[in-house]
Amino acid sequence: MSGSRTDPGGDAGSADTGDTADAAELTDGPRVVAVRDRLDRVEDPELARSIVELDYVDAIDIDGGRVLVQFTLPTAWCSPAFAWMMAVDARDEVESLAWVDTARIELCDHMHDEEITTGVNARDTFGETFPDADGGVAEVRAAIADKARVSRQREAISTLLDAGVDPAQIVALDRDDVTLDGEAAHVELDGLSVVVDRDPIETYVNRAAASGHVTDAGDTLFLTPEGDQIAPDRLDRVQKRARLADVNMSGQGAVCDALHRARHGSDDESG
Amino acid sequence: MYEMDGEEIFVIDGHVHLWDARTENITHEGGEQFIQCFYDYHTGFTPEEKQWDMEEYRHYGADRMATDLFGNAAADMAIFQPTYLTEFYDEGFNTTEQNAELAEEYPERFVLNGSFDPRDGEEGLRYLEHLKEEYDIPGVKLYTAAWRDDSKGWRLDSDDAFEFLEKCADLGIENINAHKGPTIRPLNRDAFDVKDVDDAASSFPELNFIVNHVGLPRLDDFCWIAAQEPNVYGGLAVASAMSTNRKRKFGEIMGELLYWLGEDRILFGSDYALWNPDWLVDQVMNAELTDEQRDEYGVELDVDTMKKVMGENAARLYDIDIEEKKRQFRDDAVTERFDLADHYGGDAGAAAD
Repeated sequence: MSGSRTDPGGDAGSADTGDTADAAELTDGPRVVAVRDRLDRVEDPELARSIVELDYVDAIDIDGGRVLVQFTLPTAWCSPAFAWMMAVDARDEVESLAWVDTARIELCDHMHDEEITTGVNARDTFGETFPDADGGVAEVRAAIADKARVSRQREAISTLLDAGVDPAQIVALDRDDVTLDGEAAHVELDGLSVVVDRDPIETYVNRAAASGHVTDAGDTLFLTPEGDQIAPDRLDRVQKRARLADVNMSGQGAVCDALHRARHGSDDESG
Repeated sequence: MYEMDGEEIFVIDGHVHLWDARTENITHEGGEQFIQCFYDYHTGFTPEEKQWDMEEYRHYGADRMATDLFGNAAADMAIFQPTYLTEFYDEGFNTTEQNAELAEEYPERFVLNGSFDPRDGEEGLRYLEHLKEEYDIPGVKLYTAAWRDDSKGWRLDSDDAFEFLEKCADLGIENINAHKGPTIRPLNRDAFDVKDVDDAASSFPELNFIVNHVGLPRLDDFCWIAAQEPNVYGGLAVASAMSTNRKRKFGEIMGELLYWLGEDRILFGSDYALWNPDWLVDQVMNAELTDEQRDEYGVELDVDTMKKVMGENAARLYDIDIEEKKRQFRDDAVTERFDLADHYGGDAGAAAD
């Protein structure tokens, strides 16, 4: 609804041109695929799932070095801060492709579609676009990164508990007690080494670092949601809080999915 | 009433509206977007054969509402939760006065809450007093995301809000229902922040804070606050509708609520007319946890739990004597209108044919 479509004439003859993301699975040229692959890295911050997977992307139009991406969220009332983050991330991901000069991102059917579309494409900041907002996007991103840390920590700790490591040992671990090697993670426990799957440990360590925690070798490996050391008898409570955060996220995912289907019709969603 | 395992469950629908979203009442594009968004929620979680069309959804009127709530005795009582939205709707979307049309017709069947907006200042305090005097409101429904002039919302833990909560305490308006769910702003956080409930609840231990929609999509923040504040309750509106086509998610959410809040602090609500109790109550009553969820949470949606969630918890907050109500409903106006005397065990001389 906001803005007009880029005229595809300049790139006539290319299979990339003017196709929508939905309809063109079979005929997409490599460049539409490349754009979609970049967009696949953009997450809905509320759900920690890709905007491509969630089917938010309505259209990808390519005209030489210019790319237009249109997307719609499950409701017109989705948080403007979240909508902004997705639009900026989409722009930056697409522009990271060597052949793309500029990416134009259009948010459709949202309470603030015009402000966000204009602001993101003019490369304004969130604060410039919404002067009455009493905070920035950075703190929202930080809060989300922290939720991801806690969620992944739950899986990492469960892995260690399943391997027979006891709570007192788990809460005492430091970052450099863990080494990743091939398919395995080695965890040092007072001279003993326990070997577990690499994946949950690596994912946690990466998410923790992305949230600004557990960055140095001597840092405590596992933390409360507030970032404090965990008392051994509180480990179960911390795990329950992480479970709760996961239930919240998947529950909200179900709400967004139902709204998305209600808004766009369920028939064209399954394909 | 609903029968489960041979026991009667008295149902108090803790969250209903009588709204007017006819186009002639809409004065701002936000009003149209608002009702469209509601409609998406409606169709998103309503079985296809039960869905309304947009015109009836905009305005259904008091008469139909009474039929939907009580016609098949799905609900025994209901609690009005006003949503003024006067920036979007000329006469308001769902005001205390609009709700009173039906609440005053069947006073024994309804609880009528009021509302306040701390940005109204002195005038707002007078209005709150007026609502108490005129309708004897036992609670308020608050919509912290409502627009007012340049302001796009307010916080429950602000000084202005505290002044109104103080007034509520003075007037004996004990039940503070805070909408925490789909909102527009504030922009700085995700728009569903529930943290302002924490400070308000600990500062006013004599008041009950019922967080509607159990804070979704911030269920985690909500449960963590509720675990520490004994006067914080969870209203199931929206969550209960997930029992339609997201049964597993509904089970998980109930598991978390029972784990963190316990069975005494969860209140059923249909959010009518978002969803209709005439089918939703049955559906929620039939919801079950999976074996895996029972193991994980160590809880059950058994008859004792459901009795509390569906009615007893609300009855406690609003001083409703359920046994007294059952006797009253053998021959009250609703029972006569919908021929429910048998349902309430009325004796032979009552209105039942």
